[in-house]
Amino acid sequence: MKFSKSLVSALVAGVAAASFASGVMAQEVDAAKDLMKQNKCTQCHGMDKDKDGPSFKKTAAKYKGKADGEATLVKHLTSAPKVKLADGSEEEHKVVKTTPPNDKAQVTNLVKYILSL
Amino acid sequence: MWEKLRKPSVKYSLIGLLSTGFIAGILFWGGFNTAMEATNQLEFCIGCHEMRDNVYKEYKETIHYSNRTGVKAVCSDCHVPKDWTHKMIRKVQASKEVWGKITGVIDTPEKFEAHRMQLAQNEWNRMKASDSRECRNCHSFDAMSKEKQRGTPYKKHMAAKAEGKTCIDCHKGIAHKLPKEYEEPEDEE
Repeated sequence: MKFSKSLVSALVAGVAAASFASGVMAQEVDAAKDLMKQNKCTQCHGMDKDKDGPSFKKTAAKYKGKADGEATLVKHLTSAPKVKLADGSEEEHKVVKTTPPNDKAQVTNLVKYILSL
Repeated sequence: MWEKLRKPSVKYSLIGLLSTGFIAGILFWGGFNTAMEATNQLEFCIGCHEMRDNVYKEYKETIHYSNRTGVKAVCSDCHVPKDWTHKMIRKVQASKEVWGKITGVIDTPEKFEAHRMQLAQNEWNRMKASDSRECRNCHSFDAMSKEKQRGTPYKKHMAAKAEGKTCIDCHKGIAHKLPKEYEEPEDEE
């Protein structure tokens, strides 16, 4: 009896923790999507379609599970590196703008979202 | 009173009356235009916290306020037409905004967010209907330099020009945050 009680409370705690975590995650995904929208990323990157730049799914596939994947992408979005476009021309990638300015945590959150795709 | 006003004057000369009317007219017109210009100042717009705490704060971080050369467009440069007729029409419409201020439609950040999509859409529709006239007071397709503009934007601008698109078609949210309800069209080429 005692065992089942503690099992129940463990279950309750577990469910609560999980729903809390998913709530936080949903919030983070929303924040990432909003940042993506405000910066008009989809002008050049489709979710699963290549445009002038590669699709986000492709980027996710390339960097997922790599130790420095997240850091590489954060750097990519904050340092205006030269990128090659679909038509072969070269251009500086846009620096992702955040409010307040230069908030690395927001960019990291966006990168995490892209990597989850 | 009315009787007296309708009768010709016996006391004043016609030239005296005319010149008084003329000068009074200049003063009235000058005063009217000065007052209207005053309502076009950025300081006037952010005199209300609705503007100061929401859209002004966002705008200050965008290219139309903060940039390399320090040229800026203030609220009225984009939101009020420059020519007299359209300006008057817009100013009369804006009297509804005074009513909104009195009744407090957007007097908290939460209420502002709740109305943001509607407010943005009103402005997008206005810009679309005028072929982005206020943008074009400064920007024009013809003055875009192929050498100085980056490749992708240049290509997109020339395509937009050929298709007869207007600035606001692609540049929504250029000076303010996009509403959370707004979805970017997936295939805007």
